[in-house]
Amino acid sequence: MATIITMPAVVADATEAALQDWLVKIGDTIAAGQPIAEIETEKATVELQAEFPGTIGRLLIQPGTSVGVGEPIAVLVEAGEDEASVDKQIASAGGTSHSLAEHPVPEDTEAPTTRRDTRPTAPDATQEPSRNAQGRDSRIFGSPLARKLAKELGVDLAALAGSGPNGRILRGDVEAARRQQAAIPETTPTPEETVVLPPAETQQAPGVQNFQDEPLSGMRKAIARRLTESKTTVPHFYVSIDVEMDALLALRKQINEGSLPAGHKATVNDLVLKALGGALVDVPAANASWQGGAIRRYSTVDVSVAIATADGLLTPVVRGLESLSLSSLGRTMGDYKERAGTGRIRQQELEGGSFSLTNLGMYGTREFSAILNPPQAGILAVGAAEQRPVVRDGQLAVATVMSCTLSADHRVIDGAVAAQLLAAFKARIENPLSILL
Amino acid sequence: MSTTTPLTYSTECTELRTTREDWDAAAPELLESMLVQMHTIRIFEEVILQLAAEGLVHGPAHSSIGQEGAAVGSILALRGADGVNGTHRGHHQFLAKGLAYLFPNGMSIIDGIKNDQVTEFIRRTMSEILGLKAGFSGGRGGSMHLQWLEAGALGTNAIVGGGVPLAAGNAWAQRHDAEVHDDGGQAGGMGVTVTYFGDGASNIGSTLETLNLAAAWRLPLCFYIENNLYAVSTHVADVTGEPRLAARGPGFGIRSWRVDGMDPLAVYLAQKAAVDHMRAGKGATLIEAETYRFFHQNGPFPGSAFGYRTKEEEKQWRDRDPLAKLAAEMTRRGLLTDEQLSDLTSHITEQITRIVDEITEKDPESAKGARRIRPILWPDPAAVDTDIRSEPALTGTALGEENEDGTVQRRFVDAIADVLGRRMDMDPGVLVLGEDVHRLKGGTNGATRGLKDAYPERVLGTPISENAFAGLAGGLSMTGRYKPVVEFMYSDFLWVAADQIFNQIGKARHMFGGQSSMPVVLRSKVAMGAGYGSQHSMDPAGIFANNPGWRIVAPSTPHDYIGLMNTALELQDPVLVLEHVDLYGTKGGIPEGNLDYQLPVGKAAVRRTGEGVTVLSYLNMVDVSLQAAEQRPDLDPEVIDLRWLDRASLDWDTIGASIQKTNNVLIVEQGARGTSYGGWLSDEIQRRFFDYLDQPIQRVTGKEAAPSISKVLEAAANADLNDVLAGFDEVARNLGRS
Repeated sequence: MATIITMPAVVADATEAALQDWLVKIGDTIAAGQPIAEIETEKATVELQAEFPGTIGRLLIQPGTSVGVGEPIAVLVEAGEDEASVDKQIASAGGTSHSLAEHPVPEDTEAPTTRRDTRPTAPDATQEPSRNAQGRDSRIFGSPLARKLAKELGVDLAALAGSGPNGRILRGDVEAARRQQAAIPETTPTPEETVVLPPAETQQAPGVQNFQDEPLSGMRKAIARRLTESKTTVPHFYVSIDVEMDALLALRKQINEGSLPAGHKATVNDLVLKALGGALVDVPAANASWQGGAIRRYSTVDVSVAIATADGLLTPVVRGLESLSLSSLGRTMGDYKERAGTGRIRQQELEGGSFSLTNLGMYGTREFSAILNPPQAGILAVGAAEQRPVVRDGQLAVATVMSCTLSADHRVIDGAVAAQLLAAFKARIENPLSILL
Repeated sequence: MSTTTPLTYSTECTELRTTREDWDAAAPELLESMLVQMHTIRIFEEVILQLAAEGLVHGPAHSSIGQEGAAVGSILALRGADGVNGTHRGHHQFLAKGLAYLFPNGMSIIDGIKNDQVTEFIRRTMSEILGLKAGFSGGRGGSMHLQWLEAGALGTNAIVGGGVPLAAGNAWAQRHDAEVHDDGGQAGGMGVTVTYFGDGASNIGSTLETLNLAAAWRLPLCFYIENNLYAVSTHVADVTGEPRLAARGPGFGIRSWRVDGMDPLAVYLAQKAAVDHMRAGKGATLIEAETYRFFHQNGPFPGSAFGYRTKEEEKQWRDRDPLAKLAAEMTRRGLLTDEQLSDLTSHITEQITRIVDEITEKDPESAKGARRIRPILWPDPAAVDTDIRSEPALTGTALGEENEDGTVQRRFVDAIADVLGRRMDMDPGVLVLGEDVHRLKGGTNGATRGLKDAYPERVLGTPISENAFAGLAGGLSMTGRYKPVVEFMYSDFLWVAADQIFNQIGKARHMFGGQSSMPVVLRSKVAMGAGYGSQHSMDPAGIFANNPGWRIVAPSTPHDYIGLMNTALELQDPVLVLEHVDLYGTKGGIPEGNLDYQLPVGKAAVRRTGEGVTVLSYLNMVDVSLQAAEQRPDLDPEVIDLRWLDRASLDWDTIGASIQKTNNVLIVEQGARGTSYGGWLSDEIQRRFFDYLDQPIQRVTGKEAAPSISKVLEAAANADLNDVLAGFDEVARNLGRS
């Protein structure tokens, strides 16, 4: 029996995703787990892996087309299956039975000219698969309330299975879908999308355009939405501390001259990340996230690390920091940076974590405060490590100092916990051997 | 062999004709007043027909030309405080009553209608007929609904015979006023009411029922038939076996006269005799005035143009023009010269023409120089719905909810008698009427127990004629002095009283531009489940909710009954008070020693709080819903006792808050689906709360059929606990649960 492959919900709150490219062609025999397509979501380009082995019978979507989550995109056939059963299967899944034109009809099918029946053949080459043609052939039934709620919460009804009569989507279905988006506290109503400020007036003479509107990329949209949500719904508070870096820098120098394999250097950022991980072990109350009805406390230390890319920010999660060796951490970070640059971070690598680390020190930024990444409890923003005058026992001295600002979600942690965390972090940085132990 | 003896009527029916001696004896002032009034009416009507011909009268203009003497002769025999009402052809009666009110000492040929008050009166009358805001009813009533209560013009009526029961209410009030003030028969005697109608209305139930009722209760009500021979085009002889309409009176025990309606003095003398009869406390009277309208039913053409009568017949009647008759007699007596008459008519024409010129202007869009209404004179369309009901201004103490301290247990039906008795005690204007309310220890259910003994004059056992006694209650309430509490023994009887309930009581306030209130309280028994069958088992809430004017309360506890009845009696609106037989025997807490508290208008009661589904119900079904709710804790129902059911008083705040919380609605009522209340309610809910609904509005009702006598069939027809549970099942199913 033919198997329909549908557009997966690669990101929990995505309503649609763009099929970037097919990695297979019609007639290919594929194994389970084999990547068959690249899919671009708001945040990442992911590879879609086949769940089952089979032969690619149809490819239903043009590369570059956005497709609603849950819509059929391809058909796997088993040996000996004919076209009719494929059509039937697609029709029952609510999709179009038309195959992509530019993909050649498999050789073992009859040439269209010899067909005698009126069954639709491959469409002519000019036909563009339309959104409608790919959509459900019957309307989506949802209660008025469910529709309103879905609109407000940005939930795609098409992705939901209704629990009411005739599959009618109900309030509970929408709310359940929303709850899956761990980022959004259940009881906090989500505000509307990004506030759009009117463009500033300029003195430009009329008729001369001195700007260009650049359409938002999926990632830019996601950043806009998530951060607006965070800044407007999460009660942020900020705690800052200065840490002296000389001991840590000396240790790093020692490490890099010593044991690490060739080509792998411990970065300051790696050590700061380890220090933060250690601090979260020291102050477990901060190793938490906001779950609406509960505060989730973690037994491992997973921290998101902000990586700037050309399109915007990605925050893959480094997991198990408490037991991760410095060399493993270095490899993980190197891998993340490389894949972030080419948009190959996997969705699951972006999910989870109780904290984030963001570092603008390389740009000489002295200090800054960051917007935290819900439902995480906090984000640590570190600036440049620079030589500054310090006072020791009444004497002026020079030390390498780094200013750090913690943005914390007050619903999860209180001021004292935040201060304890920074104190632990400072202790780790200034006694760097503790980082390695 | 059997013997026969003729049975004679106990009252007389006589024909009155004037003689030369009568004319010679008539006071010159009386004849002058007649002359001025009749010419004023004639010229006014000619002007109205002219305006109608120009298309400026929206709707029919039923001219009274030819019938002036029948009205003027009658009204000049009345006092200013006496009441009159009439039908669609009522301009002449209205003008005559207004002029007689403005000139209690008569009108003179010399002065005619040169008087600012008269000019204003005619201007307002014409404005009303043209539908303009300066009219007595702000243009809402028009030609067929002319009311000026101050002058005793109680309102004309477009339902043939519809005004007759209302006039009986006014007459009852006049008689009771006289009795209370103990001057019946003295100092001029009690006030009287004359209800004018035509030959057509002589055959309709409202009139015939009221003839009986007025005779039974010896009301000072004169049934005045302007028999102009034609009901539109149908001759009186075609539609009755006794075309001498005066002969209807004696059959009811009513003293009756027939008189030449083209002879204003004869009319006057007959009316005088009738008034004397009534003021003396001898009861109702009937006058048939034989008269003729010179034109068709409406508009400026004679009836002969439509073929139902001949030009010869019309000429014979025109030769008997009451204006000519009066002028001839006055000229004969040397009371009038041709020049005086000519001066009088030209100056009346001038006055009325001036009013028309104030109201109309040259139509700028007409090439032919047509006139139009001055646009500024039209009423504001935004006021289309104002005056349907009063703005509640309650004076009593509002006691919010159940007061636990000092609560005593009381049976529902006893609480009814308690509060009615208390109100009758405190307010001499409250009276109770209905079938058997005065007997059987408080009517068929005991709800009026003890009232007859305490207030014998104000507890009225009625004949079985709901239309007449409901209308009588309407007329009583329009006086502003009385608050009748009517009982319908079974709610289904609303259909036989429907004209008075809906066309008259429900609409009057709005139709007359808010001039008169209608504080009628109608206690209507819902007897579902009592085995009384298809014609005694309806819940009328849906019917009342879909008609304008009525407020509806549906008490489910003795406490609520008292509070809601007190509020109902304070309101200036007609209020339907629903009573369910299942509740009569139930007991509930009422505050000790307090029968004066009022429940606020438009406040529902949440009887069970919940988060899952909003259950809207009333009367006995509130308790049934609560029982069902206890069996479905999984659905966490919130049960709301609506208490106020009408469009204006429904508690949308409470309902809305609940629906926004639960997102699911179940409307529970007991009665048949067709006439049900919930249809209207669910329509309104889906429009107001569309975005908050997670499933269709679910309903529990009875079946389509009216309940049968057979016990099992009746049980099947009405909704019960199992049906409510099935309703909950449906709610659950729509939530994807079972």
